[in-house]
Formats: sequence, structure tokens, C-alpha cells
Amino acid sequence: MATWDTYIEKDFKDMVEDEEIVAVIRDLTPGKRKYRSTYARIKVSKNPKKYPETLWVRLGRGQLIDTPCSVQVLGFVSVIPEGL
Amino acid sequence: MAYKYYKDNRSYIEALLKTGDLVVVNEEVDWDLEMGAIVRRICEKKGPAAYFKRIKEYPGFEAFGAPIATYRRLAIAFGLDPQTPVPQIMAEYLKRTTGEPLPPKIVKRKDAPCQEVILKGDDANIMDLPAPMVHDGDGGRYIGTWHFVVAKDLDTPAINWGMYRQMLFDEKTMVGPVLPFSDMGKMFYNKYVPRNIPMPFATVINPDPLSAIASCAPAALPEDEFTGMLMGEPVEVVKCVTCDLCVPAHAEIIIEGVIVPNVTIEEAPFGEYTGYRTSPREKRTVYRVKAITMRKKPIMAVSNMGVPTDEGQLLRSFSLALEMERMLKDQGIPITGVYMLPESTHHLVVVGVKPIYANIATQIGQLVFGSKLGPWFHMVIVVDDKTDIYNKDEVIHALSTRCHPVTGIRVAAHGVGTPLNPYTSPAERRLGSGPKVVFDCLFPLDWPASDVPILVSFNNVYPKEIREKVISKWRKYGFKD
Repeated sequence: MATWDTYIEKDFKDMVEDEEIVAVIRDLTPGKRKYRSTYARIKVSKNPKKYPETLWVRLGRGQLIDTPCSVQVLGFVSVIPEGL
Repeated sequence: MAYKYYKDNRSYIEALLKTGDLVVVNEEVDWDLEMGAIVRRICEKKGPAAYFKRIKEYPGFEAFGAPIATYRRLAIAFGLDPQTPVPQIMAEYLKRTTGEPLPPKIVKRKDAPCQEVILKGDDANIMDLPAPMVHDGDGGRYIGTWHFVVAKDLDTPAINWGMYRQMLFDEKTMVGPVLPFSDMGKMFYNKYVPRNIPMPFATVINPDPLSAIASCAPAALPEDEFTGMLMGEPVEVVKCVTCDLCVPAHAEIIIEGVIVPNVTIEEAPFGEYTGYRTSPREKRTVYRVKAITMRKKPIMAVSNMGVPTDEGQLLRSFSLALEMERMLKDQGIPITGVYMLPESTHHLVVVGVKPIYANIATQIGQLVFGSKLGPWFHMVIVVDDKTDIYNKDEVIHALSTRCHPVTGIRVAAHGVGTPLNPYTSPAERRLGSGPKVVFDCLFPLDWPASDVPILVSFNNVYPKEIREKVISKWRKYGFKD
């Protein structure tokens, strides 16, 4: 199972849980692709065991929330126009 | 006739090694934070540059860290002695950049080391380059920290070289801020975006030092011609493989592609030249990669911005001050010079002036804040022509003792700022608004001469014959210099 992280602009206490959202997540798998970003449809929970993969959360200026969350990645999204 | 300069970073690295301004790091270093941490520590300790020979997971690549983070290295980049005092480096820069611009010389592909290796299509994968994770918590790996982006106006021959930071998003995508008031921003937002046309770009990673210096300089000339002036001969450039842009032929790595109009992607946060991570994660301009060209055994570059002093602060302070000096002299203001302390991360300017009329300090503030340089700083300290603007002790003394807290501080509430200013409110950062202040450290001209305080210094309160006697007998008294 992958480990991801994401950034939120709001306070951690206001983070949306258990609703499908589109967000940028970063792949934290060690290696040359570490920190590769992608838009994805996800559901997030502050409960680290609720969903199959681990998600670390950072606030707007990079501050790391020190307890992990969990995430379900429902699919990946591209925002780049066709042909580019 | 050409000045002494280094055509590429490989010869510059050799020069730094000879003068003791570079350390070769043979230990393998991790691109994920370790390399950035080493370069950050170098900047804070004002240490030598680093030439990393082995990067984890990236065999065949090397990296160059903190390329011009000291005035010694800046002097060497100009072909000068490393001990050259700052005013002399500035004088050399002014000498070279006064006169006719020198258009670049286009060389053939076979004579361009930056195209020894050409990767296109699926092979052009920027995750195959050792882009560092510079600071823990940054929004991504920053592939563009010591680099510049080449772009061209849609309707005119005007080109721009500028250091616009670039974050690696995925194999084919980079993201970074292109502020609307910047030269590339004006091209992109005023011409390409309204017509929904992708703008060709080329990112030049690890250019030779003078090309890098030119790309930071706020000069009114095209940067490729400005580089030629700094070199004393035309800079050699080569046409890109996927578009008509030209890039310095001796740079290490080139990334070619297009900037996508009307699409933005989250970027940042990033530790910046201000010494803070100020601007939050926001949607920024998108670059799509079409090709990567590079030298064999290419050298990535790492500039680590943070608390002073790194090359972003040093070079921008240096070049902004010189352009302001040129502008104020063109306006006939009787200045002695302009200096930006790198420790101020180019937010504070010191101007020395002969105070020949009232409110000359206010006029200086209006001219510099009202120019295209104005968004980048917010404090101007104006001292008299007897104060050495390069001497921090003298400047602080003048500020502390001659600036009246009520009549000497002139505030303008609604200037143009940048989103990176740490002292501005979140709302001001979003708007790009920034207040400005002038500290007038000149004694008022309407004070009677007998009321003007006399500076008590060795040079000021002793007759010439006494000063000469003391200086000539200094060692005889038992003092060392």
C-alpha cells in the first residue's frame, strides 16, 4: 500500500472527512519518483485505519500534522489539456 | 576585447577549487533533503561552494551547490581577485554594462555542449533529473533554483531570461509563480493567455555564472545582450531542438516545452529569498516538458534560499542597487552610491547623497519606489555624502542618531509589493500590495550651522597634521594595523 501526503489550507480540525474530493496528493514511495504529485479523487479520514492507504497532512506553509490519516484513492485526474 | 570570465560552470568550479572557495564532496549525498541541508549550512556559515560528485539514485549526475553565495565567489565570476572589495566589484559591473549591448552568437548544434544528449517524447522525463527536495515541507522538488527561463514575446523579437522558480509536479510538468508585473508575466498574460496560445519556454539549469548574473539583473536590455557586455564578447547560444528560442550553449541542462495558458496547478510552499516560507500553496503557472538536452555527465545546480546569505539575496541586492544607482544619477540626483545589504534579503537600500536641497531623501524614495524595481524592497535609508554606505556600523550609527522618529520617517501606505513579503498581511500578499518607508538621516538644511551636531571621529575632529602624525607613528606606539 502506498503512502501519500497532501496540503490543506484550512485548519486541520476543519479538514473534510469521508466525502469524495479532488485534491493533489504526493507519492512518498522511496526512490526517484518520491514526491511525484497528481490530482486524485479521494476520501480522507483522520482515523488512520479507516481507509487502506496512509495519508500525511501538511498545512499551507508545510507544517506537518504529526499523526497520520488514511486515504482511499478512487481515481486519478488530469487537468492538462489534450495534446499538451 | 573579452574580459576574463568562465564560459561554463566546469571552468568556474576549477577556479573556485584553486582559490579555496569550493569543496569537492565525494561522499554520496541524498537529493532528498541532505543535499539541501548541506547547501543551507554553507550559506549560513558563509562557507565554500560544494561540488557533489555522487547523488543517491542518480548515477551519472553531479551537482553544484551555493554557486555565488559570497562576494568572493562573485568577484571570481567576474574574473577578479577574490579579495576585491564590494565597491570595486560594483564599479567593474558598471564599467562593463555601460556602452553598446552585444547580441549573442548562435553556434551550431555540434558546438553546443548543452545538446550533447537529446531526449524527446517519453524519454524527456524530468524525474530522471536529480531535482532536490531543498527544504523539509516544501511543496515539491525544486528543479529550478539556479537557472533561468527563456521566453519570447508573441508579437515582437523581445526575449526574457528570468529566474522563475520551478517545482517538479510529475514527469512532464513543472509549476511555478510567474508574477504579472514580471517581464515574462507581461508577455504571457498580456499576449499568450488572451489568445489561448501555449508559450514556448526553455529552462537553463546551471548556466555559466555571468549568464546567471544577467538573468537576475533588472536591466532594460535583453539579457542575452547584457551577458555579452559582462563577458566583453557575445555569449554563445544555440537554438533549442523543439522551438526557436536560443539558450546558452555551455549550460549543463536545458528543459524545453510550453507554458500552458488558462491552466493552473498547486505549487509551493517554498523557502524563499526573504528567509521565510511566506506564500502558501496556491495555483500557479504550468510548464509542460517536450524535450531535455544536456551535457554528458551533467551537473545539476542547487541554490538554497533561506536566512542570509545565499546567491538569490546577494545577486539581487547587488544588481538592484546598481540599477538604482544608474537611474538616480540619470535623474541628476547627487548621490555617492547605492548599496543593498544582502542580509536585508534586498528589502533595505542605503543611498548616500549630498544634501543640497530640502526633502531630497523623499525624492529619492519616490524615484526608487516608483520605478520597476520598486516592488522588490520597502525600506530606503538616506545618509549624507560623508557616510560610508558600505560600512554597516556607519549606516546604523546614522540611522540611530540622525533619523527623527516623527519628521524623518516617511511612510507610503499603498505601494506595489510581492506575495513573498513576510511583513505584509495575508490580504496584502494576495493583492501584491506593500507599504514603503524612507528613513531620512540628513540633518535639516534650515538648522543654523552652529546647531548642527559635529561627528566625533578620528577623521573629523583632529587637524590633518595630528592625524598624519598618529598614523605614521602607529606601529612605533606598539599597535598593529
